Amino acid sequence: MDNTMDINLDSRNNSMNLLSFYWMAKFEDSILFQFDNGKENRFQLVKDNLDKLLFFHLYHKDGNKRFIVDLKNGIIKYNSSSLPEIKEEKNNIRLIYFRRHTIKIGEIDLKEKSHIITYFLGLQWTFNNKNKNIILQINDNGDFIIDGK
Amino acid sequence: MAAIHQFSESNGAGEVETIPVANLNFGSNDSAEINTTTYPITRGDASFEKYLRAKFTGTFTEISNMKFWKSAGTLVTGETIKAAANVAYAQPSATPNADSDVPVTEGTALSMQSAEGAATIVYGASGVSGYTKYLRLQLQTTGSTPAGAVNQKTFTMQYDEV
Repeated sequence: MDNTMDINLDSRNNSMNLLSFYWMAKFEDSILFQFDNGKENRFQLVKDNLDKLLFFHLYHKDGNKRFIVDLKNGIIKYNSSSLPEIKEEKNNIRLIYFRRHTIKIGEIDLKEKSHIITYFLGLQWTFNNKNKNIILQINDNGDFIIDGK
Repeated sequence: MAAIHQFSESNGAGEVETIPVANLNFGSNDSAEINTTTYPITRGDASFEKYLRAKFTGTFTEISNMKFWKSAGTLVTGETIKAAANVAYAQPSATPNADSDVPVTEGTALSMQSAEGAATIVYGASGVSGYTKYLRLQLQTTGSTPAGAVNQKTFTMQYDEV
């Protein structure tokens, strides 16, 4: 096997193949999908319009799992159920979203032995002049744990 | 978006880059993807240093929190792997360097910077190359290191992306 071709394929040029969850952002006046008509929108477009962001969805490519962050009310829903909520006045509610890539490579073959993506999704807000947050760590299958402080 | 991630190795006085590099075999020659049978490390000696970088291409917004550590592979008697992050490139040497042992846990992992010295790589920003700074690795042995092949190791690179 041609090693160069092997590693090129492993870098996975197709983002959709690598990701299990895609995002969708609902603003006051529009909706933005991560993938739209074969084009991938950068998250920068969400960051640039955070003041208009109402909901941020993270949905599984199979369509059976969906996380929804409600930026106005400070709650997170999984499918149609609300996750445990911290009931306190939330000021300056902000979205947390990023993907953590953990890539294991072999010494004698830098081809990826595994490439795990964990999706971090949550909220941070201010309460009594303290910054607080709740974050879900979601794996490829949609299993998640809740963390926060 | 899913950034495209590749490793590159640099060699020689004039810095010849191999990207993507297929392996990081340590040996007694300053070149990429070396054959360890042809260039074995003599007991008591060190390998030539490896200068690696990660490169991110594709369309992402930001890469941050870049870490590197050895996550598997038992060292044999007298064998150590030295590592330093965010170093400047220099012609690789087989003289044992004084770098620290490569971290073996995420909690103690080497923290990597962008080539421009920032904690993040911002997509499309002016002057941003998409490279990290150099990671220098070297395998060192002692007279007590047993003859024969050492164990294979697994390294982990981790980063956050939006």
